[in-house]
Amino acid sequence: MQWPREEGDVTSSPRSSSNMSLNGEEEDLEWEPPTEAEMKVIQARRERQDQISKVMGEYLLKGYKMLAECCDVCGNILMQDRARRNYCVSCQELDSDVDKDNPALNAQAALSQVRERRLAAHSPAPSDPAHVNGDAGGAVPQPRPEHCEGAAAGGRAVAPAPSAPAPPTPPAAVATSPAPCRATPASAASLPATAPPVLRVAEEAVLSKMRWASGQLQSCASLESSIQLCQLISSCAASLRSLREISQ
Amino acid sequence: MLTREEAPSPGYSGKRRLDCVICVEMPQVRRLHQKHVMQVACALEAVVLRIFGPEGGQVLFTRENGHVMLSRSGTRILTALRLDHPLARMMVECVWKHSGQTGDGSKSFILLLASLLRTIYATGSKELNVSRVYNSREAAESASARRLADQTVAFALEELEDLIAVAVAPYGFSLSAKTLTASTQSASHSDRVHVEKLIASFFHTRLGFAHSDFMGELIFKLLLNWSCKNDKSSSSDNSRSFQGNLYVDSNGCQADSASLSLRFLNDNFHALHTPVSGFPVSSSRLIEGQVIHRDFATHDQDSRQDPVKAVVLTVSLQPKWLNASDTMEIGNGTHRKSIVHFSAWAECSLEHIFATLQALGVSVLLSAVKQSDAVLTLATQAQIRVVECIGEDELALFLHLSGASAVSDCWGIKPEHIASLTFCRSILLGAHRYVHVAFSDSREQQPCNIIICGLGEGQTDQYAGAVQDVIHMLRTTWEPQGIATKAPSSISPGCVIPAGGIFELLLHRALLQHGHSHAISKHTPVVRQVLADAILHLPRHVHSGNERHFLQIQSKVWSLPDRNPFQPDGLFCKPGFSQAHCGNKSSQGEAEQSMYCSLFNNNKTVSELESVSCKYHLILAVLHCVKNLLRLDAVLHTPTQLHPKSLQLTYSSEDED
Repeated sequence: MQWPREEGDVTSSPRSSSNMSLNGEEEDLEWEPPTEAEMKVIQARRERQDQISKVMGEYLLKGYKMLAECCDVCGNILMQDRARRNYCVSCQELDSDVDKDNPALNAQAALSQVRERRLAAHSPAPSDPAHVNGDAGGAVPQPRPEHCEGAAAGGRAVAPAPSAPAPPTPPAAVATSPAPCRATPASAASLPATAPPVLRVAEEAVLSKMRWASGQLQSCASLESSIQLCQLISSCAASLRSLREISQ
Repeated sequence: MLTREEAPSPGYSGKRRLDCVICVEMPQVRRLHQKHVMQVACALEAVVLRIFGPEGGQVLFTRENGHVMLSRSGTRILTALRLDHPLARMMVECVWKHSGQTGDGSKSFILLLASLLRTIYATGSKELNVSRVYNSREAAESASARRLADQTVAFALEELEDLIAVAVAPYGFSLSAKTLTASTQSASHSDRVHVEKLIASFFHTRLGFAHSDFMGELIFKLLLNWSCKNDKSSSSDNSRSFQGNLYVDSNGCQADSASLSLRFLNDNFHALHTPVSGFPVSSSRLIEGQVIHRDFATHDQDSRQDPVKAVVLTVSLQPKWLNASDTMEIGNGTHRKSIVHFSAWAECSLEHIFATLQALGVSVLLSAVKQSDAVLTLATQAQIRVVECIGEDELALFLHLSGASAVSDCWGIKPEHIASLTFCRSILLGAHRYVHVAFSDSREQQPCNIIICGLGEGQTDQYAGAVQDVIHMLRTTWEPQGIATKAPSSISPGCVIPAGGIFELLLHRALLQHGHSHAISKHTPVVRQVLADAILHLPRHVHSGNERHFLQIQSKVWSLPDRNPFQPDGLFCKPGFSQAHCGNKSSQGEAEQSMYCSLFNNNKTVSELESVSCKYHLILAVLHCVKNLLRLDAVLHTPTQLHPKSLQLTYSSEDED
């Protein structure tokens, strides 16, 4: 199906068109009130954006420069300090939004999303709310820009994944967990059959995200993005480990 | 519509120059998303919120040479930020242009801009146009936001002014421009107090509470002085440009003398003020006459008290006979003259000029150019004082005030070139010595110069900038014509309203009432709702530290008598009908003044005032800016700089690039 171009559309990116489902474009264009979970996500995102803007304002008053470029990872506008180092407010200072709200990375978010769906479908809720370690994908607040350079050199408190063919970690990175964890081959093992379906859903989501990240990592040329992807994979591995621990 | 931005480095491919003849460089294009627009607007909003409101702070600027300056001026702070993002630059440029025209409202501009963008995006995502097909939901939302912005601008241009004139302005009152022109008898005391209060409120928001009342009184005296002067200078034998009490400008609108004098002050501000550093602000004062910001080039022997005659020169008295690469042939012919004869002849001619000047009784020469040493020596011998290198604007003002004309040909000095002065002497202001002149016309009022003092150079500059901006603001308040249609404005000139968010609350209520009425209007209620929601954020920010106070004011405004602008049959009540209800000097106006005073202030005294006209222009300017922002689709990175930096950034270091 050919979509007519809107006037002034200079570039077409495949991501933008993928947002639109091919079936029922009318449904997508009509505004429906968001569900409670979506409201929470929207509220959280709005607060996060407000926080980012406030921090950016503070940096502007400190003499930082607002660049015309955006961060590769989160898409927010980059700042530059007097020493001409680029700095992304959201990646390096605030908690990552993706990890908290994206059900693919955070099992807690996945659980709550599934619960919402069940409530909406009027089906009985699962009896035992599985308690998953929500911090599997979370990142500790990044150190201030005066101490680090680049988005990934902030030293996340996540162990590097030795299984994936990762590029060498930059020497400025602060490794808070020096002991390498044994990465469980993600594709080989799977949850036992007696695991509740909610965990299966979560596991599938994590696996799909890990597959995507691995694919991206192979074609990635940027150092910082590679480091980010490796950390994502290690977060997925940690999530999977937690899921399996629960199911056992 | 595309906007261009510089890229830090050219994006050439890796080919060597020897290999390829043509190297095509594709400019990097990046689409602009709603998220980016909001982020830039919100970042600037966060900067402004730190300095906004009565509790707002100041920003300390530091330069590499160690100079520091404290400022609360929104324009100064925004233009000093280091912004490479084209959207941010565009917003700051809009702020700059707006504050250049109206003198105020730079912080409110950014706050209103951010809240309008938020409201438009939020409303736009709900009001998608399903009749067109878009590539993505985001494209649909962008188109919807753009459409909504266009509709809001159209509404503001067509109906907003009338709405303000009918539903908001009556809660304020009009300050008659005659307050500035009339003598003490006819102007009411309360009007004078209100004008001073209006000026003081401006200084309060701009520079803080200290000295705001003092500056209010001082500026009022300055205006009174100049307005009286202009009023009395409308006699027929006057050769100046004032053509009577009413002046018809290029738009065909009438301006009274107060408006004229404000324009005059604005155009000649540089020559009419003297910044003096090193003294407290309370030392600022007015002095009669004009201060020429140069010192005497010749030794001032004795300052005579007699009426002094002065001549303005625009050329050097000793003309330059030879320029570089010129040759002059002397001694050709029968007389066989030599260079000695020539220089003697030149000197003789100069002496002749000075003899003419002495015969005319001239004792002061005011020169736009540097005079030669021979001229200065002869002037000293002839006891004529010389001031050199005077700025064009100061000389133009001098000629205007004295009625003389400048000498362009040193051989033709005539009586009409002579200006009569009461005195012409040195004056020591701070660390500088200037020339102080007073004009000996038969008028009752003398022109005056305002001396603005400050503890440091930075503070003095700030106060001088604030004085100039307050003149802009007063001009906008009293300027009769409308901006959009160039027709006479429906908002009465001089209309002011109590400050502190009253205007926004009243307008919010009026917009919602307008939306609920049965009035025939081609603009959808959505547009009015968008504007009403966006405008409510301003008073919230003003009272952000005191929510309870905000609610109290809001409930007071809500409880005001309902001035529904719509007649019972639903037709919109035209401003001409309700102009009679505006608070002029009629008794009805007095009654209304006391009504609003009692509503907003128990003391029956006015706390702070702001101009309705300035607020209206602010809303229009912000809407235009929003409309232009939402029309942007993509950013094009170019390797070279396309336009020079248009803004004068005083405290930013442009060492890079």
